[in-house]
Parts: sequence; C-alpha cells; structure tokens
Amino acid sequence: MSTIPAPVGASDATHGASAPERGAEGAAARVGRALEAVFEAVAETGAETAALLARVAAAGRRPATADLAALRPGLHLHLARQELVSGVGFIAAPGLLGDAPTWLEWWQTTGEGGVRPLLLELDPQQSAYADYTHWDWFALPRDTGRRAVAGPYVDYLCSDEYSLTLSAPVEVAGRFAGVAAADVYLRHFETAVLPLLRELPGPAHLVNARGRVAASADPAHLAGSLTRGPDFATVLERARVAAWGGLRLVPCRPVPLVLVLGEGLAGPVSGEARG
Amino acid sequence: MQQRHVGSGTGGIGGADGVRVGERARLGGAGAHRAVFAPVESRARVDAVVRRIGDAIELGLLSDGEQLPGESELAGRLRVSTVTLREALMALRQQGLVTTRRGRGGGSFVSLPRLPGPERLMTRLRGWSTEELRDLGDHWAALSGAAARLAADRTEPDDLRQLIRSIRELLEAADAGARSRVYGRFHVELAAAAQSARLTREQVALQTEVGALLCLVLGDDEYREEVADRHRAVVSAVQDGARDSARSLAERCVEESATRLVALRLSL
Repeated sequence: MSTIPAPVGASDATHGASAPERGAEGAAARVGRALEAVFEAVAETGAETAALLARVAAAGRRPATADLAALRPGLHLHLARQELVSGVGFIAAPGLLGDAPTWLEWWQTTGEGGVRPLLLELDPQQSAYADYTHWDWFALPRDTGRRAVAGPYVDYLCSDEYSLTLSAPVEVAGRFAGVAAADVYLRHFETAVLPLLRELPGPAHLVNARGRVAASADPAHLAGSLTRGPDFATVLERARVAAWGGLRLVPCRPVPLVLVLGEGLAGPVSGEARG
Repeated sequence: MQQRHVGSGTGGIGGADGVRVGERARLGGAGAHRAVFAPVESRARVDAVVRRIGDAIELGLLSDGEQLPGESELAGRLRVSTVTLREALMALRQQGLVTTRRGRGGGSFVSLPRLPGPERLMTRLRGWSTEELRDLGDHWAALSGAAARLAADRTEPDDLRQLIRSIRELLEAADAGARSRVYGRFHVELAAAAQSARLTREQVALQTEVGALLCLVLGDDEYREEVADRHRAVVSAVQDGARDSARSLAERCVEESATRLVALRLSL
C-alpha cells in the first residue's frame, strides 16, 4: 500500500534548499523540540524510578507499591511545570512489585488545576481492562528497548482523551522493570504546534510513523485520519527530508513525527496522499 | 467480610485525594466510574440509581467491600436529593448489593453476592420496559454502527489487534459476567478505533447500563459463538475499509442482543 519516498536530491537538500523548505525544516525542528521537552520529563521520571528501585534492591528488598510513593513529588512537579504534560508516571512490569501483580503510579492534572492519582481496577477477575501490557505505550519500549511515541489514540484506560503518550523503558540491573511515560492530550498539542504549521507556505500536517495525523492546518487531513501512500517509517529511519508526489516529508527530529507539506500555490495536493 | 476503603473520608470512589499508599485501587477505569456516578437524568430517580449502581456492582465496576462516597457527595454527583439516594440505597440493601454500617468508620459498602445471581439479574431486567430495552438497543446500534463505519476509514491492521484479542477472550471466557465485560470492551475498542473520544466515552457509559443485562443472554454458549462470529465479520469489514458493511454488521450484532433481551423480558 505504501511506497518508499524518494530522497530529495543532494543539491536540494543542502545549500540549494528553497526558503519554504528551510521554513518547513525549522517548523519540524520546533515540533521536535516541543515534544523533546516532554521526553525530558519522561527521562527524569525513568531515572528517578530506576534509582529508587536500585536503592530498594540494594537494601535486599523486593519493591512494593508503597516505595513508588516516593516518586510523587517529582511527578507533581512535571505536571506543574510542563504545560503539555497532563499525565505522568511509572507503569510497573507485571511481577516487579511484591505486593501487587501490576501497578501504575500515575498522576493526572484535574480540570481545576490540581492533580489526582489514576485509580484503576487491576484485578482481571473484576475488569476487562486490567491488563495494560498490550498498549503501545507499554509494549513498544518493552519490545524495542527504546523510547516511543504512542498515538494519536483514544486513551479509554486512563484519561478518556485523544492523546499522545511518550514513554521510555526503565531498566534495573539490565532488566526491564516497566516504563516511564507522559500523556500529551492532542488538543494541547494542537494548540502548541498549530501556529508553526500555519506559518508555512503550503497546507501542512503532522503524522506519526504509520501516517496517522497528529495535528493539521490542512482541512483535507484532519487529526485522527490516515495519510496513505508514503512510507513514513522509512522517512523517520533515514532522518532526511524526502519528496512524495507533490509533498515534502520532513522528519521532526528527534521525535517520530513527520511534517507533511503540500505545495502552497500549485494546486491541490491531497489526491495522491490520500491514495 | 473484609472491608477495604478506597478513599479516606471525603475522597471516596474516583476521588482525588486521600488514597492510601499501597492501596490497590480497584476502579473499573476512570471513565467507567465517572459514568457510574454521572448525574441521573431519568424522572424515576430511585429506580435509575438502583439500576445504575446495581449494574455497576454486577459488572464488577464497583468492587466487593468498596466504600461508596458519602451520602451527600454521592447525591451531589448523581444529582438526586439525599432522600432519593437513601431510598435507592435501601432498595440496594434489600437486594443484598450494599451493606451499611453506622458510627465511626461507617458508611455504605459494596457487597458482592457470592453466588452468580441470575435471579437478581432477572429482577433487574423486570425493571426495564420493552420500550426502554428497544431504545437502549437503538442507542447502542447508533454508537457501534457509527464507530464501525469511521473505524473502516481510519484503521490500519495494527489497530485491530485489540479487537481480535477481545474476540478470542470472548470465546475463552467461562462465566457470563466475564463474557459480558469482554463483549462491552469490544465495542469500546471499536469506538477507539474510530479515533473518536466522544463515541468512546458514550460507549463506556452505555456499557455500564447494558453490561449487566447482557449476562442474561451470554451464558448461552451458542449465542456467545454467534456474537464472536458477528464480531469477526465486523473486524473483517473494518479491515477491508468497507465502511457501509462494517456499519450494518455492527448494528445487526447489537440489535440481535437487544432483541434477545426484549424476548427474555417478555417471558418474565
């Protein structure tokens, strides 16, 4: 279904880049930086969790849910400081803790400006939603050992919001212990990036590695829809600007989103992309 | 019976603060709890509250021993008067689903009956008129049909893994309660595959109503297989991007369930 986009020619990609293209790369870089700040909160949460689990192990104990309460001041700080972050925490790998088979130490902002813990039913006998290990935000870092962006997706487990979840594996003594993660609600992400997209000369939108639109200034490509055609995963892997039909595909390094830019004045561009 | 307190004092179910360190919170998802304790809009408020909380207990959305929020808080959230709430709690006590203790540390607690309660469920079904059941089915078909159509446009193979897993679990689930939960989850996942937070929230709320009733028809192995087949057909249509057929297959699936509930109601 998707085809590998042709890399943009050398002259085009370097000193010969047009002004609009430089603008697109600048916007992509700023999108990357916005989410990189969220990844910093994830990394700090992961580091704090790893240190905590290491201390407990050094004391010859198996960690328990009560130990994770020590993460709360840090989590509350991330929620207060990071405007984009609406939920943050550590999700334990099954079997990590001595007193609970599974556990989320997860905190969310409330509508009233406070914070609250997520209280999930984690007993599979009671809830059909007790197993969280198949969600992308857990499975991707576990399976790849690398940080990941899950979504956009409807998060009916934690927030009921259309979200992006940024997560990273937490390891203790080389073993996977769980993931640190942060939620970014799509409506907040849109507020942050829409001004950047609207400055560009052509219709622009952002997609994830699978072509799912995360934010858009192009009415032909709304958030949640799929932009079909280009192989965005390859664009991200190569980390270089590519062309596909009349579209420019600009990776938002270092995060796995691609800025898709149509030609501003050269007529409609949506036909091919929607394949 | 062992009493486990989710919140201390004012916190209560779904409450923000006062959760004990290390306490396993057993809430059936933030959305589910919000739905259980969302304002009651029906004019027959006592019945509506009894049905809502009774169904939530039946479904396991409220756990055994869980303390219900204080009377004034619960009444405020359900938007019923305290008197109405007390009448409803009385009815729930009579059904053996809630126990109340007075004094310090007292309050109302969920009391999950040890035995599967087909008779209690039948009593619950008797509380529905066939017209209400038909309307419930219409609402459900509208939600799931729209979700299936949108999902066909917006889904790629990776998004279908959860739906496929739910079909498998439906075939593995031994008791009617578990089958009903997984049945409901399939439709929630379908709404999520449509990339619609609103449809998903609506579906979660609807499942708190219909879920307990579905236990009554999903105990039948043959019907369980039929539902799994219908779910498989929906997933195939979604996968093929066949929006219209995905919609009508999803509608037919839930209409059949509603029809069975109506038939059962008429037999009472």
